[in-house]
Amino acid sequence: MSRPQRILIALCGLLLVGCQGGMRPIQAVNQQLNRLGDSESASLSRNWLALIASRSGGRAQVQLIDRRRNAPVPLQGLNRPDCLPISVAVDQQGERLALVRQRDDRSELVLYRRSIQTTQALAIEPAGVPRRVSLSADGRVLAVEVSRSGLWQVDLLELP
Amino acid sequence: MLQERRSGRVLPLQHLRNRQPHSSPSLSWNGRYLALLVQQGGRRQAVIEDRATGRQHPLFLPAGQDPQELSLAPDGQSIALELISGGNQRVQLFDLSGLLEPDQAPGRIESGGGPQP
Repeated sequence: MSRPQRILIALCGLLLVGCQGGMRPIQAVNQQLNRLGDSESASLSRNWLALIASRSGGRAQVQLIDRRRNAPVPLQGLNRPDCLPISVAVDQQGERLALVRQRDDRSELVLYRRSIQTTQALAIEPAGVPRRVSLSADGRVLAVEVSRSGLWQVDLLELP
Repeated sequence: MLQERRSGRVLPLQHLRNRQPHSSPSLSWNGRYLALLVQQGGRRQAVIEDRATGRQHPLFLPAGQDPQELSLAPDGQSIALELISGGNQRVQLFDLSGLLEPDQAPGRIESGGGPQP
């Protein structure tokens, strides 16, 4: 390859990086994500990524990726065969996961604590249909999008 | 809409008035950065508003990749984008350390400060 060609290729590379507005794909974790199949509802913290993934023809499941190892960690008891996950969020420590899931034709909001592998249902007052959830980085405040009488509202729940 | 939880005050967002609908808002630790999807012509575009400097950072993606949702890491150093491309729906992570200063958790010491007592 001639020197002008090398310079041209280097310039094209710089241009491509510039066109992404200064952001760079994180290839190591993206390769792991591609292996999970289709994925959605990502929630990112410094060391953790929670999402809902489904391989072709498979059931959707909540996955928690440890970004330091680029590998999923077990979530004992969270993914149930009678539930369809809709939205998930994780805190900064990867300890608490908030989840909206569909079970028996109704949507429910639950909080999962990873260290004790326990799922706790969270009440929505007044009653409504939860759709999307977001958890503060310290895991203490939950924002949940709720449908009530045809209106979408955002509720804040303080967690113990 | 960006609302301060302590006071209930609605905070102004400089660059977002004419690019509706907005969706998928995501804040950094101290609310310095707000990442969201805006309308850019006929497409959705991911942008990050830096409330400390008033700058807006558009996040350009390769042609054929359309963002559906996003999640900004609390320190503002990485972002997860849910992308539709060729009929596939994939979450991909991007490093933002070359674009944004860290927005650290309150009380976190990053460097300096002299010797330990």
